[in-house]
This record gives sequence, C-alpha cells and structure tokens, in this order.
Amino acid sequence: MKRTVDVNIPLGPIHPCFKEPARLKCEAKGERIVGAEVELGYMKKGIERIMKGRPWQEVMFLAERVCGICSVIHNMVFIEAMEQISSIPVPPRAAYLRVIANELDRMQSHLLANFSYCYTIEHETLGMYLLDLREQVMDELERLTGARVTCAYMIPGGVRCDMPRHNAEILSGSLDRIERDLRRYSGMFADGPMIALRSRGVGILTKEAAQRAHAVGPTARASGITTDGRLIHPTYRQLGFVPLSRTDCDNYARVMVRFDEIIQSISLIRKCLQDLPKGVIRGGGVCKGGETRYSGEAPRGELTYFIKSDEYGRIVDIQIQTPSIMNIEACCHEMIIGADSIADVTATFVSADPCIACTER
Amino acid sequence: MTILQQIKNKVRARSIHVAYVDVGSCNGCDIEVLACLAPRYDIEQYGIFVHNNPREADVLLVIGAYTPGWEEKLAMVWEKIPPPKAAVAIGNCPISGCLFNRRESFVDPPVKKHIPIAAEVPGCPPRPTEILQAILLVRDAVFANWEGEHP
Amino acid sequence: MSGYLYEKDLVPQKYRILVSVRHDKLVREIASELEMPVQELRRYLIEHLDMILLENLPARAEAAGTKLSDNGEVATALGKEKYTLFIPILPVAAMDSIFRDVNERVRTGIPVAEAVAYGRAQIREALRR
Ligand code: SF4
Repeated sequence: MKRTVDVNIPLGPIHPCFKEPARLKCEAKGERIVGAEVELGYMKKGIERIMKGRPWQEVMFLAERVCGICSVIHNMVFIEAMEQISSIPVPPRAAYLRVIANELDRMQSHLLANFSYCYTIEHETLGMYLLDLREQVMDELERLTGARVTCAYMIPGGVRCDMPRHNAEILSGSLDRIERDLRRYSGMFADGPMIALRSRGVGILTKEAAQRAHAVGPTARASGITTDGRLIHPTYRQLGFVPLSRTDCDNYARVMVRFDEIIQSISLIRKCLQDLPKGVIRGGGVCKGGETRYSGEAPRGELTYFIKSDEYGRIVDIQIQTPSIMNIEACCHEMIIGADSIADVTATFVSADPCIACTER
Repeated sequence: MTILQQIKNKVRARSIHVAYVDVGSCNGCDIEVLACLAPRYDIEQYGIFVHNNPREADVLLVIGAYTPGWEEKLAMVWEKIPPPKAAVAIGNCPISGCLFNRRESFVDPPVKKHIPIAAEVPGCPPRPTEILQAILLVRDAVFANWEGEHP
Repeated sequence: MSGYLYEKDLVPQKYRILVSVRHDKLVREIASELEMPVQELRRYLIEHLDMILLENLPARAEAAGTKLSDNGEVATALGKEKYTLFIPILPVAAMDSIFRDVNERVRTGIPVAEAVAYGRAQIREALRR
C-alpha cells in the first residue's frame, strides 16, 4: 500500500549498480529499510500493442526483442505457442537443437547475472572471470545460431540451421573447458569469507512470501520451491530433467542456484549432443488461428505467452507475462524489507536478476 | 599550441570516462556494452573507464528508443556532464527506433532530436568491437585536439 | 495539492498497465465481484499500489486462486486472504473487522450469501473512504 513517509531514499533511475533504469524508493528508519516501492515507466515501449494485428513472421522478431538478454527463450516460447495452436510437429533433431540453443542462452544469462552480483558487491575479480567465461559461451551460441544476441534461431516446424558434426565436437570441447573454469569460480564464490559476509542471511525471501508474490525461476528455487517450466516440456522430459533447489532463501542461495544450474545446463547439452537424432531440421507447416496459453522456463523463471491468432496466422491478442515482473515484485516488497543498509538494497535487488526491459515491455 | 596544452590533450585522450544511459531498449545493446568490459575486449586497456556516473563522464552512450519517461530527464543527464563531452548512439534504436518505431508504440526516436549525438553505431545489436571502435574514434575526433580547437 | 520536482505524474503510465488485456480482465472481474464501477476500482488501484505491483496483479491473483484456502467458506467467499495478502487493496486489520462482522451475522442465522453480500458492501465502503 502506498504511504507518505518522512525518510524516502530514492535509487535510480541512473545508478552505477543498475544496468537499466528503475526507480526504487526505499522508506528508511535510520539505516534500516522498512518498505520499498518501485516506479517504472522508463522503458515502456508498448511492444504488445505493436504486435497486435501483425503476421507471425513479424511478431517472431518482435518477440525476440522483448528482452535482449534471454532472446532465445522468447523466440522459443512464441514459436512453440504458434506450433501448439496450429498443431505443427517438430522433427526430433530440431527439438534437440532447440534445447541446446536454449541451454546455452541460459548459461550466458546466468553468468551475466552472477557477474552483476559480484560487481555490485565489489568483487570485481570474480566478476571479470565470469564475464570472460560468458564470452566463451557467446562464441558457442554464435557458432550454433549465427548471431550473438538476437538470433531468431527457431521457426515454426524446426530450426533455421543445422549443426555439423565438427561443430558438435568443438562445442563439447569448449563445454569441458567452461565446466572446469566454472567449478573453480563457483568454488571461489562458495568459500569466500568476504562474499559470505555480504551475501549470507541478506535479503531473505521466505517460502510463503515467494508463493504469495508468485516468484519463479532461480529466485523461487533458492527459497525451496521446486517449480520449473522445463518439467512439462516434452524434450526436457526425454532428457530426464530434474530441477534443483536450495533452502537458505538468501542472496547467497540465489547466486549459488544459478551456478548449479549452469553446470546442470552443461550436462543437459552433453546429453543432447550424445543422442542427437539424425534427420531433417525443418518439417514445415502452416500457422493457423486459435488461442492458447503457453509457458516455458526462461533463465529468470516461467515465461508465459497468451496468444490469440486468426486464420491467416496474424496475432489478434497477445499478452506476455515475463518472469521479472514476479521476481522484482517479490524482491521489492519482501526481500528488501529489513535490509540493514542501502548497500544491501542494491545487492539484494541485483541478486534477484531484475530485467526491466521485460518487465515493462 | 603551448606545451601545456599538448600535454593536456594527450592526457585527456588517454582517460575517457564512459557513462551509459538506457532510454528504452530491449537490453540487447546494454549487454553488448557490458561485454566490452570483459577481459576479451578489455575496454580499460585504452584508458576508457566505464563508470556510469554522468558527473564524471566524458562520453555518454545512449541506448534505446527514447520512451516518454525520459522527457526532460535525458537532457538533464546531458547537462550534468562537464565539457568536453560527446554522446554516442548505440544500436538501431536511438538512430531510427528499430522495430519499435511503429504505429501504437510509445517511443519517440530518433534521440538526435533531444540531445546532440556525435556518432552512431548501427546494428541490432552492434558487436562489442564495433562499440569499442566508435568510442575510440570519438575520442580521436573530439578529445584529442580539444585544446587546439577551444583556446 | 503537492507538486512534482523530479518525477512526473505517473497516472497515465499506470493506466496503460491496467488496460492491457489480462489486467483489464482481472480488474473487471474484481469490480463485478465487489459490485463497484470499474473506473472507481481502477482509480483506487492507481492511487494505492505502485507500478510493479500493478504489473504483477494477474500473477498474484492466480497464486491466490491456486492456494487451497483452509479457513472456511465465508473467508473464501469474502476473499479474506485474496484482498489483503495477494492483492493488497485492504489493510489486514480492516479486513479482519469486516470478517468478524460477517461471521457474527452468520452466527445469528442470516444466510451465508446475504452476510457475504453485506461484507462486500463493507469492503466497498472501505475502498471509497
Ligand atoms: S538496436 Fe536492437 S538489440 Fe539494440 S536495443 Fe534496439 S532492438 Fe535491442
């Protein structure tokens, strides 16, 4: 509930720790934070309004630009929703390639999030290590899809380009390297006494609060809720995916969950490469009219598209529910309350991996 | 030009502070700017320091298609930067609005209308190397001979 | 009347959030449940909730729907938890007193539906105040 208070510390819209503009108004009692409000409105582009009335061929590229950090999953969820509406089958090889692209995207997004956290708590060395590791993942993503960020890899009924044998070998080689480095870095994070002082017991999000705010993704999994959109995805089911979770509920747990998930992603990709089926990568199909609700697991949590299309494959109505909405809300109204200083506020805010571009669209 | 001015020029061109401001992007360009920090591209070896504090900055990187929330505020940020200064538009968004510049959207590109832009880097998103190159070119064009041009 | 020094008036921005497809559906649902005009509810939401909470309303409403409530028929019908914890439009204390009132009425023999209707009228009053 909105209140008028005497001490109101505004953070943002331009703040050295935030990558994106948001305005955080913290109500403080001494140095302790007793409440926080977020006012957005710096990034509202009205992308859902642009999408309405356009053919899917255009909306596909628009969907990717809802969020530049996790563009692959936006592409994937939109395309799979269209496939579900018009019942287009996906060739098995394409389904596996999709998983590989998606997991690479998750890895780079998590590495970026952990980099931001380390940078915010002023542990620049570890941050730079992680950013360097992210470049290696970006290389792999580029080798597979042809672009670094907005790659539009998936199309209805398949994927855009195949992965030749030698590329698969290069990929598995670099996965080994990435995993070796990552284990070292996550060990540094797990054992660092200074890091623990800044992270353990800070920004507690209890399980009940997380459920109330409908928190998703690593933020929820660090609070002991095992929700994961990948559990209901058919290809991930074939791969035998099991979600991870932690129960310590603090900043440290959120960052560690992300580290663990990167390692899990690496093993998922290995499994994909191992039993990558042979065959075509594009089956073809026609997009039809219909209405559906489709969700997938983005790096930050459950991403849902509500789509209604007409018989020519044009989008009539669309609403996107991005994970950051729930996570930022949980962060600002539950985690920050009781933080001991403003420095903890920025660290906690960054630990929830906020992405303002998706929140406002 | 006096010796002192030459020294000033030289020093100024070797210590550029960069701030970035996101005026309604998709984040794609944001993370490519962040990637410039990575040891692979290593923006700091050229004496460029990304700090995100307008009051210390020399170069302002503008990302995004100018949403209504930034009216007045972007100009305020621009005024806070002490001269010499230059603004660089990163990505298609500040140049043309990219694909957000359609009917029904809220954006108001180009950013050129609102603050003076010295250089533009097209691409959706541009590669980190291109961003780096643009900053270096702006450095040579604006800062390397500032004392000579503004006696 | 207070002015703005730095921030702009956020009402248009908040209104834009509330009229997008899913939010509009939810607001209309709540308005018809409480039997109050949609415009009035929108104004209340805009004045009392911050932007991120407005964005999150549908997800929170969904969470309220899936949570199995174990505190009785009256509480569920009145939306005791829904309107305080999940969609925080009423302070907990105000809701508690309304809930006590309604329970009192049910105990004196008034049918549940009627008592709940009375409770909703009370909520409406609280929102107008
Ligand atoms: S230019 Fe492209 S990648 Fe960059 S912010 Fe705009 S839409 Fe995103």
